[in-house]
Amino acid sequence: MLRIDRRYFYHFDWIFLLLLVAVSSMALINLYSASYPPSPWGMPPYIKQCYLFLMGMAGILFILFFDYKELHFWNYLFYGFIVILLLLVLFVGDSAGGAQRWINLGFFRLQPSELAKLMLVVTLASYYSRKEDDDGYGVKEMVAPVLLTFLPFLLILKQPDLGTALMLGIIFVSMTVFAKVRWQVYVLGLILGGGAGVFAWFYLLRPYQKRRIETLLDPAKDPMGQGYQILQSKIAVGSGGVSGQGYLEGTQGHLHFLPERHTDFAFSVWGEEWGFAGSLFFLGVYFAMLFWGLYAAMTARDRFGVFLCFGVVMLIFWQAVINLLMILGFLPVVGIPLPLVSYGGSSLLTTLLGLGILMNVRMRRFQTGQNMEKVKQK
Amino acid sequence: MKWSCYKNLEELSESDDADLDSLKRRIFYAVFIVLCFAALIFVRLWFLQIHKGEEYRDRADNNRVRMRVIAAPRGNILDRKNREMVTNRPTFNVVFVREDSNDVDELIKHLASTLELDISTLWEKLRSAEGKPRYIPVRLLEDVDWEILAYMENHNQDFPGIRIEIVPARVYHYKNVAAHAIGYLGEISRKELEARDPEVYSGGDLVGKMGLERLREKDLRGEKGSSSSEVNARGFEQQLLKNVEPLPGNDIQLTLDAELQKVAEDLMDISDKAGAVVAMEVKTGRMLVLASNPVLPLDQFVGGISHKNWNALLENPKHPLINKVVQAMYPPGSTYKMITAMAGLATGAIDKDTVLYCPGHYYFGNRRYHCWKRGGHGAVNLNRAISESCDVYFYQVGLRVGVNKLAEFANKFGLGHTSGIEMEHEKSGLTPTKEWKEEKYKKKWQEGETLSVAIGQGFNLVTPLQICLMTSTIANGGKQYLPQLIEKVTDPDGKILTRFKPVIVDELKGEQKFLPQIRAGMEEVVQGRHGTARKVRIEGLTIGGKTGTAQVVRLKQYKNMKEEDIPYKYRDHAWFTCYAPAEDPEIAVTVLVEHGLHGGSGAGPVARAVLEAYFGERLQQAAEAAGEKREMER
Repeated sequence: MLRIDRRYFYHFDWIFLLLLVAVSSMALINLYSASYPPSPWGMPPYIKQCYLFLMGMAGILFILFFDYKELHFWNYLFYGFIVILLLLVLFVGDSAGGAQRWINLGFFRLQPSELAKLMLVVTLASYYSRKEDDDGYGVKEMVAPVLLTFLPFLLILKQPDLGTALMLGIIFVSMTVFAKVRWQVYVLGLILGGGAGVFAWFYLLRPYQKRRIETLLDPAKDPMGQGYQILQSKIAVGSGGVSGQGYLEGTQGHLHFLPERHTDFAFSVWGEEWGFAGSLFFLGVYFAMLFWGLYAAMTARDRFGVFLCFGVVMLIFWQAVINLLMILGFLPVVGIPLPLVSYGGSSLLTTLLGLGILMNVRMRRFQTGQNMEKVKQK
Repeated sequence: MKWSCYKNLEELSESDDADLDSLKRRIFYAVFIVLCFAALIFVRLWFLQIHKGEEYRDRADNNRVRMRVIAAPRGNILDRKNREMVTNRPTFNVVFVREDSNDVDELIKHLASTLELDISTLWEKLRSAEGKPRYIPVRLLEDVDWEILAYMENHNQDFPGIRIEIVPARVYHYKNVAAHAIGYLGEISRKELEARDPEVYSGGDLVGKMGLERLREKDLRGEKGSSSSEVNARGFEQQLLKNVEPLPGNDIQLTLDAELQKVAEDLMDISDKAGAVVAMEVKTGRMLVLASNPVLPLDQFVGGISHKNWNALLENPKHPLINKVVQAMYPPGSTYKMITAMAGLATGAIDKDTVLYCPGHYYFGNRRYHCWKRGGHGAVNLNRAISESCDVYFYQVGLRVGVNKLAEFANKFGLGHTSGIEMEHEKSGLTPTKEWKEEKYKKKWQEGETLSVAIGQGFNLVTPLQICLMTSTIANGGKQYLPQLIEKVTDPDGKILTRFKPVIVDELKGEQKFLPQIRAGMEEVVQGRHGTARKVRIEGLTIGGKTGTAQVVRLKQYKNMKEEDIPYKYRDHAWFTCYAPAEDPEIAVTVLVEHGLHGGSGAGPVARAVLEAYFGERLQQAAEAAGEKREMER
């Protein structure tokens, strides 16, 4: 349905684009500082991220040409494709730090688990929008979405990547609760979830993963390991004070006290250099973008659109919350990036594609309504 | 398939308008949840950045700024002729900052194998530092040579956490000369650390532990410097932020004469004598020699004395740790007879021509008191009594004036109380009185005891310094000067902070007219035909002096033994005190040799050597002049 309608231009949500560009610009500015001084070899991260951002924008533009309805169809192909990629990663993937998560494409190392998050949002949106039940879903209806979630969940857990796997679980729970389920499902879910948790703790979790959780409960136990990273992050953010140390002046980041300063802990650098005022401004814009996303969900023309927008916002929201709470010392180091801010191509592309879908829904908010009016007039 | 999807959907959207609304209404719950988390993050940010902002700012600074303390060189110690006695040299220590190393195990192994060191001693040093903060450097090697130094400086990238620390250490140019007066340094103890200003001192500092190093710690210590540099998380220094140079301590010039002191100590040392040699300027109170033998091995204290060496010092029967100049008390023996003579003259009990008969003994009460000369001195006047040290003469003088008068005059000459010299644990000595005995022993004074006191035995106790002060007071005409050993204190810029000023503590009023009579007797001791210290005589120099023998024990079993056969610790102490030149006295010299038997033979030669060294140049000139004169006459 490649139809270019001039109304789309008027219906396009320029405010949302503005918020997105604002967040991305601040993220790139921050990334320059977080990877400063530039290393003498290779492409500096902020340049790479810049290219990927432009690529992502191109992707959004491409998505906008198609009605999101098409996803009902393409979804199955995406799902199969991502599962194949996840399987591929297990066999031929690049590994780093004891985990095998990447497929090397030469110019770019793709992390299929990132794409899997978006894929899950689209899949669940598609499923819940087509199957509706006024009283909420019963146990029988939940079998399909649970299985659809469980397959990529297991594959990602196997890499191992506990953080991303948990992300899938959180997306599943958010969207399912949002779709409304019967109380039996909650009871069963709690029992099964709790059982799985206990089982995982004793049989599935690797020692380093357990240690991370233990460190959270008692940070003093391990001051030079996981606790060290969180402590340094707290020192970085805290030392920002009201107005920050100044751009490129943060000592925690530039003297390498902060671990992973351009990926997971990128916001620590922002907090250190821009202080409370800067952090509030940044998070204000960031959350405004999320609220605007929820607003897009509320104005969507149909169930599928609502679920898509809601899912994409939840995808970004939960990652952001987990990342921020980790940086601020409330959660263990789980390896969840701050979407749009942390350096990482797969995460950035996934987020932008998700937002592209969201903008798509928003842009086409009136379409069905007009159709329906026409139908009613008939 | 595509089309069927669309159809489906359009049908759905038509029929489920109400359902869509209820779905959209549920978005408000999501908005609420997002708001909650936003609020949580807001509050947390406020807590970290505003509430605890200062604290975290400090911690960030602590993270990145490393301050190194630079020890200040202590002040130099010079002798009266500006000869360097104690100065500093830089020593290079290999230290290890545990915080800066990721793998302590590997590093220690690497260090031990490259420098061919015993790995267990390195581990021992690390273990001893357990419990101290990890950023405090641990000393692994002290005073390394330049080869190790150059290697470590060139390969510092191979040894993360290892650094070279430059610390000034004391150099003793005159080895152990004046060791008791100068003292030594040691690491500050926990107790001292608690008692002192934490701004100035910190653990591991060297502080004066004895002598002037301790008493003049404030002058000598200087001010520490510091260098602050920025380090990254791996401990590598990025840039220097601030550098404060240390301020060296003040230099102290002593009144002591290093060469003279050395003569005295060496002479005592060669003949293996324990005791003290004291010399002072009689007209100022400047101390020239303050020697206590055996000397302290100062170099053993550099970098901390070993347990073994310390025990050896403690157990040495000659007590090298005691500064015998002021910390040991002995009966003054016959050197006390000048006090008795003075008391006799001043009270009118005798005059210089009073003749008393000495048959070799004196009966008092039911007892027979011996003169040291069993045959007796016959008829004796003051001059002969002093020069031949007749005990019977002074027994009678003592009886005539009484013990309290003796004590009064002893005090006037500096006995029985501390002098106030800048030395630690100075003993006051003892000049007994009747009241003192009643107080102390609850017993009445026996007149017979006055006889013992009159010849310097009995309860009498003095320090070698006191006898020197007494001699000095006799020689200078009755002025008791405060003995001082610091000529001047100079700050690093050369500004003089304090300068020697003579201080008169006490002065004879009127009685000084009798002093020449006593001095005449003392000159006879050295210059006279029957003097007890004829051996001390120096050609071209008139010396006044007095020998003394301090009884250690009075045991019957040793009475008839030959002196050489008496066990060392029961032998008498030997005194000799003198001044010169007799015509216009300049210096007083006092020598005490523990268990040295006789003043003239045991202590005299040491005093003679000191005088010779002091007057050496002048004596030579005089001798040359005399020789020329003789030539001319011929």
